Amino acid sequence: MKLSLSWIGEYVALPADMDLKKLAYDLTMSTVEVEDVEYLARRFDNMVVGVINSVEAHPNADKLRVCKVDLGGDVKEIVCGGINLQEGMRVAVACPGAIVRWHGEGEPVEIKNSKLRGVASYGMICASDEIGLGDLFPASQEAEILDLSAFHVPAGTPLAKALDLDDVLLEIDNKSMTNRPDLWGHYGIAREIAALYNLPLKKIEPYQPDVQPGFKVEIDDPERCTRYIGVEMSGVSVKPSPYKMQSRIWKAGMRPINALVDITNYVMLATGNPTHAFDADNITDHIVVRRAAEGETLALLNEKELTLCPDDLVITDSEGPVALAGVMGGSKDSILPKTTRVILEVANFESTGIRRTALRYDTRTEASSRYEKAVDPERCDQALALSMHYFQELYPELKVTGFCDNYVTKLKRAEIDVSLTWLAKRLGKNLSNDVIRQKLELLGFDVSIDGDNMHVIAPTWRSTGDISIKDDVMEEVARLYGYDNFEATEFTTTFTAAINQLDQDLLRHIKEYLAFRCGMQEVYTYPWMNDTFVNTVLQSTEGVLKLSTPPAPELSYIRSSLLPNLCEAVMKNERYFDAFSIFEEAQVFFDRNYTSRYDPTESLPEQRRHIAAAFASSTKDVSLLFREAKGVLEYMPRFTHMEGFTFRKEEKPVWADSVVWLNVYRGEEKIGDLGLLSKKVSLACGIKNLSVMLFEIDASKLVPLRSRTNKFTHLAEYPETDYDISMLFDSGVKWTDIHDAILGQKKASALLKDASFVDEYRGKQIPAGKKSVTIRLTIGSGEKTLTSQEIESAANQVMKKLEKKLGAELRTQ
Amino acid sequence: MKDKINGILSEAEIKIAAAANEGELQNVKSAFTGKQGSLTLLMKEMPKLDPALRPEMGKLLNQAKNRVTELIDEKRMELKLKASEVSPDFDCSVPGILPPRGALHPITQMCYDLNDTFRSMGFEIFQEDDITSELYAFDKLNFPPNHPARESMDTYWIAGHDSGSTNEKLCLRPHLTGGSVRYMQTHKPPYRFVYPGRVYRNETTDAHHERAFFQYEALIVDKDITFTSGKVMIKAILSKVFGTDVPVRMRSGFFPFVEPGFEIDMQCQVCGGKGCSVCKHVGWIEVMPGGSPHPNVLRAAGLDPDVYTGFYVNIGLDRLVMMRYGVDDVRLFHSADLRFLKQFR
Repeated sequence: MKLSLSWIGEYVALPADMDLKKLAYDLTMSTVEVEDVEYLARRFDNMVVGVINSVEAHPNADKLRVCKVDLGGDVKEIVCGGINLQEGMRVAVACPGAIVRWHGEGEPVEIKNSKLRGVASYGMICASDEIGLGDLFPASQEAEILDLSAFHVPAGTPLAKALDLDDVLLEIDNKSMTNRPDLWGHYGIAREIAALYNLPLKKIEPYQPDVQPGFKVEIDDPERCTRYIGVEMSGVSVKPSPYKMQSRIWKAGMRPINALVDITNYVMLATGNPTHAFDADNITDHIVVRRAAEGETLALLNEKELTLCPDDLVITDSEGPVALAGVMGGSKDSILPKTTRVILEVANFESTGIRRTALRYDTRTEASSRYEKAVDPERCDQALALSMHYFQELYPELKVTGFCDNYVTKLKRAEIDVSLTWLAKRLGKNLSNDVIRQKLELLGFDVSIDGDNMHVIAPTWRSTGDISIKDDVMEEVARLYGYDNFEATEFTTTFTAAINQLDQDLLRHIKEYLAFRCGMQEVYTYPWMNDTFVNTVLQSTEGVLKLSTPPAPELSYIRSSLLPNLCEAVMKNERYFDAFSIFEEAQVFFDRNYTSRYDPTESLPEQRRHIAAAFASSTKDVSLLFREAKGVLEYMPRFTHMEGFTFRKEEKPVWADSVVWLNVYRGEEKIGDLGLLSKKVSLACGIKNLSVMLFEIDASKLVPLRSRTNKFTHLAEYPETDYDISMLFDSGVKWTDIHDAILGQKKASALLKDASFVDEYRGKQIPAGKKSVTIRLTIGSGEKTLTSQEIESAANQVMKKLEKKLGAELRTQ
Repeated sequence: MKDKINGILSEAEIKIAAAANEGELQNVKSAFTGKQGSLTLLMKEMPKLDPALRPEMGKLLNQAKNRVTELIDEKRMELKLKASEVSPDFDCSVPGILPPRGALHPITQMCYDLNDTFRSMGFEIFQEDDITSELYAFDKLNFPPNHPARESMDTYWIAGHDSGSTNEKLCLRPHLTGGSVRYMQTHKPPYRFVYPGRVYRNETTDAHHERAFFQYEALIVDKDITFTSGKVMIKAILSKVFGTDVPVRMRSGFFPFVEPGFEIDMQCQVCGGKGCSVCKHVGWIEVMPGGSPHPNVLRAAGLDPDVYTGFYVNIGLDRLVMMRYGVDDVRLFHSADLRFLKQFR
């Protein structure tokens, strides 16, 4: 909202030396956010009013003229293409240094001395839209120069001064005053400034009507329309409003139209109470405010045709709706050039109904945006008084032929009791009763104090919901006293135990492990999945939740797995990297098991926290990629202090390669999958060259250990020896079989401490259908240092056992 | 002959000591004990010697030879220990082999930084589900029934759960504060906790607007807390993020779930409060809303607002991270673009 400081100054006596920076700061700190303080005159720097002494043809151009212009002392030659140039005309001259927009379009440019088709030109004679005044002085045709002959000022007068634009505009963030309907107008801000600085506020004297009993307004729904004042007048006409009114309307960001419309807009901008003028000749019988009937139609001023519903409030005459109450007038009763009689509407409508209707028809207007903040009905008095003042001033012949003030639902001023002890505690400061009383009274509250109890009655303009509880009163005192005047106070608390949040710590440990230990990059993706990746990776949407208004049609499913988005991330990164590993931790959602542990009436879907990873590489050796991914999972429980998990092969994930996959189990419960993205799915995802290992586990099912569980073992007293053996096995023999055979129920040798995998090899030197596995045996004794024969014999026992159990052969060179 | 031997010996001692490398040492060795070496040549003269002198001279000669060999070996060891293992051309400017260089997302990093700060002040960390009912997203937060934020244009409703009463309507949480009510319902006061999480808004995205972004909420609730206690929490956040004490101001602001409500500004860190283009020449940058939980919110959480009060702040992590690193497009955070993310490891 833009406010003119001179307009505000009409209602509150601002000191001449007012520090505007401080005003903006104080308003921002205590009331509303002042986003900008603009010295309007600066837009018109280096612009003056010039008087055209002569207009001559341009020697080299048909469409241009050379004017001699009196700029107050100096007479300069200016080349101009305007079509309405005349001797004696007052015009706006942009001198060198002024900022204009050519033909009102494009970027602002600075005027310089220049030559136009060979003739030197001092600055430029402007059209209204070239200096940002197109709305205030609309041009009737192309290339029309702004004619200022009506402004009787001497040549050389600065343009801003001549046009009364030597003003300051305060720009206020609308969002910061949604809860303050009283501030939506110049008078409201003036009242707030008066309270902040204890300055006198001008009262708007009420209009004293001659009641006309023949004229009536009916209100059918006293909840939705609490008050309706109708004034029927004759002797009006459509003509321009006075320049002062026009320029103020323009400063506030609206467009002057004609006197009848301008008065209604001016009053709204002044008081915050929208008003409307109907052409009385088009109103049949009297006005009735009622709900619309289902299917009733209304043509709006903006030519929109509405089919109404019973939730809409309409202004009607005996023929049907003439206006959408509080939102927009209809076309039938609108002000036309021939209008001579009007009905002025000064009314109050309930906020939420206005909002619903405005939204329903996508028609938010200056009026509806004010009504939907909850305007108080008492403000109609101000709006009426101001309206009548201007009607009578602009139309001395005016006759009021009908008047009716139907105030059906009286506003009740909010009354609140506040304990002064409570107030002092919450403020953290003891303010004297006099200070508290003074601050509240400045804001228009009535205050009576009896012992510890303070009874306050809010002013009418704060009683539409804004002030309703004692906390509101506390805020009023604090903000007027000045938030800067309250020092930070420390808070204390008692500790009974250390904070021990194992589940929180576990998640963090896992993420730090993946990032710092495993060298992976954490990524974030959106909760919604692209249909392409849903179809290729998940291959089913059963149990997957959807958004009713998704960000895009193909992004409607929200994730039940993190893998589709991870695959998309791999696809997008493939262009730039040929080996990388990424992980994500996020929530997944399932359309099942609805319940809530907070409220018995609430039912929330199953929501879990998953951790998923993708290892992408252009390697030909998938087994290394597999072992890398598996290793990350295998070591995770130890590093992050949680109960371990095991791998089984029970149920192939749909996206996985037919061979390279495992299920992750904790106890008997499956908690995740690990596998190679199958070539088919990978290609469908648009991943061209990379092999991708994926895992996804349900972090909600991981169990943190309360403390460390691994035990210390004594250091070996006698040396242990590593002894590598390489043996040939059938290609299908698994490492777990080998490991079991060596260390299972019956150890192959009593001296055997451990057996670990070194590597496996299939290839040229190995017979078809076989593989060579290198195994590292750890051999030692708790009683003595072993001889080499003893070590070899232990190894031989292992080899014999492998021969016997698994048909292994010693690999011959 | 004896003098000759002693002469050779002292000459050998000097030459061995002077040898600067293995090559020179080899030359010294062949000059004394090689086939044409001076000691070897003396040895060959033995037969010409008086037989009575031979044993003594032979002994001396052998001793001299051994001594030279010994000195050469010592010198060789000395040279060996002194020398580098590699060629003098070894390039020390080649880069090191780096340890694994994964990283947490910059927002996670910021979140953990703040968690550590608040943990040190005795705050718990709270985490809640992303899908909530309208009951918790709005009703319990004192949002009036027709508040604009409830409409589909601002909130992502779940298909099939987007109509009916507010306990039946489900959405991706539009903010965290509803979850704070859940915390308060299930814990005993006093409370001090932080609540990081992702929230969702149905809006058009650009460099400064996202549909999914992170909030960090901190809440204390106790008996007799004044609204000015909130400044301590605000300072804790900002000094952690920016590494210095950042001046803050609290000014009037309105949010349905707090009373009084504040907009909290910090001094612009680019111009130090003097005014610049970043802070639109006001010297302050709006960083978070805050305030005392509205009595209706405390009631919804089962507390008596006459007894309990508190202070709440809710800061947008995306924006803080953008300020910390100078990131100029919020959409990069959810892009999973490694070219971006690798900058934060």
